[in-house]
Formats: sequence, C-alpha cells, structure tokens
Amino acid sequence: MSDLKIIKLVKNFVGMDRPAVNNVNLKINSGELVAFLGPSGCGKTTILKMITGLFAPDNGDIVLDNKSLLPIPTEKRGVVMVFQNYLLFPYMNVNENVGFALKMKGIDKNVIEKKVREMLDLVKLPDIGFRRPKQLSGGQQQRVALARALIASPRLLLLDEPLSNLDAHLRDEMRDLIVTIQKELNVTTIFVTHDQEEAVLLADKIALIFDGELQNYTSPKNYYEQPKNIKAAKFFGGVNFIKSKKINNEFISDIGKINYVGENINDLNDEINITVRPENIKLSKTNDFDHNSFKGNIKSIIFSGTHTRYKIIINNLELECSLQSLGIKNINQGDEIFVHLPKDKIWGMND
Amino acid sequence: MGGERLKIILSLTPPLLIIITLFFGGIFYGFLQSLGYQPAIGKYDINFSAYYNVMFSERYSKLFWTGLGLNLWVSFASTFLAAVFALFGALAIRKTFFAKTVCNFIYSLNLPMPHLVVAVGMIFVFSQSGLLARFASQLGLINSPGDFPVLVRDKYGFGIILAYIWKEAAFFFIILMSVLQSLGENFEELAQSLGANRWQRFRYVILPLVMPNLFSASIIVFAFSFGAYEVPALLGVIYPQMLPVMAFEFFLNPDLNARSEGMALSIIIALIVMILVVFYFWLTQAKIRKD
Repeated sequence: MSDLKIIKLVKNFVGMDRPAVNNVNLKINSGELVAFLGPSGCGKTTILKMITGLFAPDNGDIVLDNKSLLPIPTEKRGVVMVFQNYLLFPYMNVNENVGFALKMKGIDKNVIEKKVREMLDLVKLPDIGFRRPKQLSGGQQQRVALARALIASPRLLLLDEPLSNLDAHLRDEMRDLIVTIQKELNVTTIFVTHDQEEAVLLADKIALIFDGELQNYTSPKNYYEQPKNIKAAKFFGGVNFIKSKKINNEFISDIGKINYVGENINDLNDEINITVRPENIKLSKTNDFDHNSFKGNIKSIIFSGTHTRYKIIINNLELECSLQSLGIKNINQGDEIFVHLPKDKIWGMND
Repeated sequence: MGGERLKIILSLTPPLLIIITLFFGGIFYGFLQSLGYQPAIGKYDINFSAYYNVMFSERYSKLFWTGLGLNLWVSFASTFLAAVFALFGALAIRKTFFAKTVCNFIYSLNLPMPHLVVAVGMIFVFSQSGLLARFASQLGLINSPGDFPVLVRDKYGFGIILAYIWKEAAFFFIILMSVLQSLGENFEELAQSLGANRWQRFRYVILPLVMPNLFSASIIVFAFSFGAYEVPALLGVIYPQMLPVMAFEFFLNPDLNARSEGMALSIIIALIVMILVVFYFWLTQAKIRKD
C-alpha cells in the first residue's frame, strides 16, 4: 500500500510574484502511474521536490499511507527520485551506481551484488556492470538510473522528465519499459512531463498544472472528451470553442441552437463554452444530419498525410475539422458545407 | 611539406631561444654550479661532492635531514589543513547568499596579499609579544604574555603552517566554490533520496566529485610551500631549518665554495617537487586510462 495524498500544498519562492505551487490537492492510489503535466516553470518539479523532502512546503501536507511525510527527512522517506539528466555518479561503475542505495543501508556486499544483477536484468542491461557512465548511451544511462532507484524498493517512485533527453526511437522503448516495470513491481509512480503525448501514453491519470495551480486531475481519455476548462482543452489540442448561453435548458450560440446532452448539463452555468474535437466533427455537402447541423464555408484545406484539416467559417465562427485523407469526398476551398457536431461528442465548460 | 615545416621551425626559433635561455639557461647554470663548476673561482671539475656534503657529511647531514623532515611536515600539514578548512568552509556557506558574498570578498582580498605580509601579520598576532598573548594576559587567562604558547618561530613550524593555511585556504576556497557551484546540488539531492545521510553524502558524493580539483590544487600548494623561502625565513627557527632557507644561507655565504652546496640543495628541492608532480600526473593518467 502506498496511497499518497497531497493536501492544500503551497510553496513560495523569493522573487516570484505568484506562489510556485498554490493550494494543490490530489490523491494517488497505490500502484497508480500518475503524470504531472504542464509547461516549464508551472511548479510540477517543485511538487516532486516537496514530496521527496528536498523543498519544505510553506503550507499544506503530504501524506503517504496515512502518515505525514513532512517531519521525516528525505533519506528516510522511502521516496526515490530519478532526475532528468540521470545523474549517474561518474566515478562509479554501473554496478556501484545501481548498488548505491543498498550500500548506504549497510547491506552485505554479496546481497548487493545479487540485487544489482537482478535490477540490471530487469532493465534489460545484464552485461554492462563494469562500464563507466560515460561509456553508456543516453538510453542505457536512463535504464541504469531507473535500476538504481528501483533497487531501493521505494514506496513512491518519482521520475523527473524521464524521456525528455532521449531521441524518438529510444523514447518509445523506454516508455514501454517504464510501464512494464511499474506494473510488474506495482510501485506507485509519479512522473513529470511537459509533453502531453507522453503523459497520455504512460499515465493512468494526469494532473494538469498551470502557474502552480492544479487545473484538472483525471484520466487521459477525459482530457480529450471532457476537459474541465478551455486551458485544459487547449493543452490537449482542443481548438474549437463555441460561446453559448443556456436559456430554458437550451444552448444558444452564434451558429445557432445546440443540442447538448453532456452528463454535466446540470452543473453548467448560464454562459459556457462548448468544445468539440476536430476529429469528431463530420462534414457533408448535403444536410444528412438530424441535429446540430450548421451550414458554413470551407476557408482552407491542409493536407497532412493520413489526415486532412479543414477550416470552416460558420457565421464568423471558425471551426477546425480533421478527416482521414483516405476516401475523402470531393471538398474544395470555398465550398458550402454542412457541419455536424454530434451531441454525444460535444462538451460544455464553465471556464 | 618539408619547406612548410622548416618555415614553422624558423619562425618559432627566436621566441623559443629566449624562453630556453632565460628559463632553462638559469636552471642549467645552477645545475652546473651544484656539480662544482664555478669558473669565477677557478673550479672546473664536475663532481657530486656538493650533493654528498649536503646529504651525508658530518657537518651538514643532520641539518639537511631534519630540514627535509620539517619541509615535508610543514608542506603536507599546511596543504592538508588548508584544503580541509577550505572544503568545510565552502560546504558550510555555499547555500547562503550573504555568507558566500562576504567570504568570497574576504578570500579575494587575501589572495593578492604577499606571503611576506601574512608572515609579519602572524608575528603580530600569534607571537609571545603579539596581540593574542597580550589579550590573553589582559583577560587573566595567562600570567604574562611570555606564558603564551610558542606558535611563531617554533621548532615544529606551527607559525609557518598557520601562515600557509591562512594564505592557501583562500586559493583552495575559490577553486572549491567554483567546482561546487558548477556541480550544483543535484548529485547530493539524488543521494539523499537514495537514503544517504549527511556523512554518507559527503563521503560518497561530494568528496569524490571535488577530489580531482582539490588534488590538483594541493599539488600546486604543496610545490609552492615546499620551495618557498620568505615565510620560513621570517617564522622559522635556526634549527631545524627548512631547506629553502638553508639553501639561501649557503648562497649568501661569503665563501663562494658554499654556493655549490646551495645550488645542490635547490636542485634537490626542485627534484622532490618534480617527482611529486610526475607522480600526480601518473596517477591522473592511470585514472583516465582506467575510465
């Protein structure tokens, strides 16, 4: 069991005009893989460092297995962090690097050797124990750093931008390895990233952070289908936002009346933004749809290989639509077109 | 190709000649004198009797070996202690902006200070007629300034060691601060999250990381303190005497025959330092090969 609760966490730094971390609350269940996602400087690494104990919060609490971590020094928390640039000790070989945590615990040399071999097997690097860090590739260094963290049997594993220093091919390989090992060892894991694709591919849940504030904490799928606000939607590639007014349970916008059946309908304010992902919009030259069908004109067409993106103007509102290029109908710039926003694919947001 | 090479050699020859004449010329002539070659007083024989006299003659051997012992003790002790003080000082204040600024300022002031001035300062502060002795006497800690322990002009070289620590710690400090700043704190933070306590972080992380720079600086400081004259001349005693002082006294001797012994002693000092430097390079090269 390694449930983590972050409660009303606040951190200020001298010289910053806003808190680096502002009133962040979230709960991570045992064995979950959670991503802290946000742009550079949003406070995600600061939260990680507060969990490890490298920074002390100004307010709030961090609770692991129903016990506050704050009075416990970093070295006794059982929270291990893997840094972005791996930080393998340059004066140690791979075996010594991986066995570092056990050596600090004063464990017998033979036991350390056995555990080191197990860990190197786990990260699929069984034959490099006597190499020095500078003799390793970036991907190998990352695996050794992971093995060095895992040998400590952490209650909580923290990965700071684990894939950012790797090239595309190694990134895919490492991503699979992290997920496989994390599930195999069932270790509660948080990783920090600014790459939404990486977060979506790796994480069970994503905590989206902007300017030190938690915007949303939910599954990757929900960020696409049910974003909490415009900021969250935009971060995940949302581009279509339709301002609407709720009048007698109907949503009226500049493009017309919108039929809405979202599950949050009762929580919505009188003035909302409705979003629809470009890939969920349907186009037709004839009005084949029984609801949410609006007439517009094709403003531009951009071919991008497997998909083609269309910009459509409806009553001065611009919407973007993405269709599979294969088998596309004859749609040209300037054409009049019917745009369908399926009622089960649109989502209303208060912010 | 051959013409190009000749052109390079010819263009380099004038500056090389000046460097070789000025630098190696002096050393070579000194070496010849140490071998007894002194045309000015009609001595043309080449032999090692000056070296023998200095190291094994009844008259000088005791002076030489005790002097060598004192030299090694003073140089090792002052280098080691200056490095230790600087290391702990740098570690203690590196995270405090104000202390870092103040210490940097103080140490930067200390660096250009001549060793001679520091030696005189040591006499003013630590001698039996110095400030500390008078202060302790005024406070009643000792009966009279004469009861103050002999820290300057003592046979164990404490005064010399103190002066070198004061002076060289600044050099170590500035090197260490720049190394620690370039390393940042990530390695220590990582070790901490892997369970290393404060001592383990120092022993297994900081020390190995700063050691190459600390070791290089130590060689420089050791070589300097081993061969320097002015501090031991001011703060040392007549017996035992450090080798550079002994060499200089041979050199000042009105009997020009003694100059060969002075030069032999200087060459011995230079050789010891060179052996240490070669040993250091051998160690570092071995490490590079191992890596």
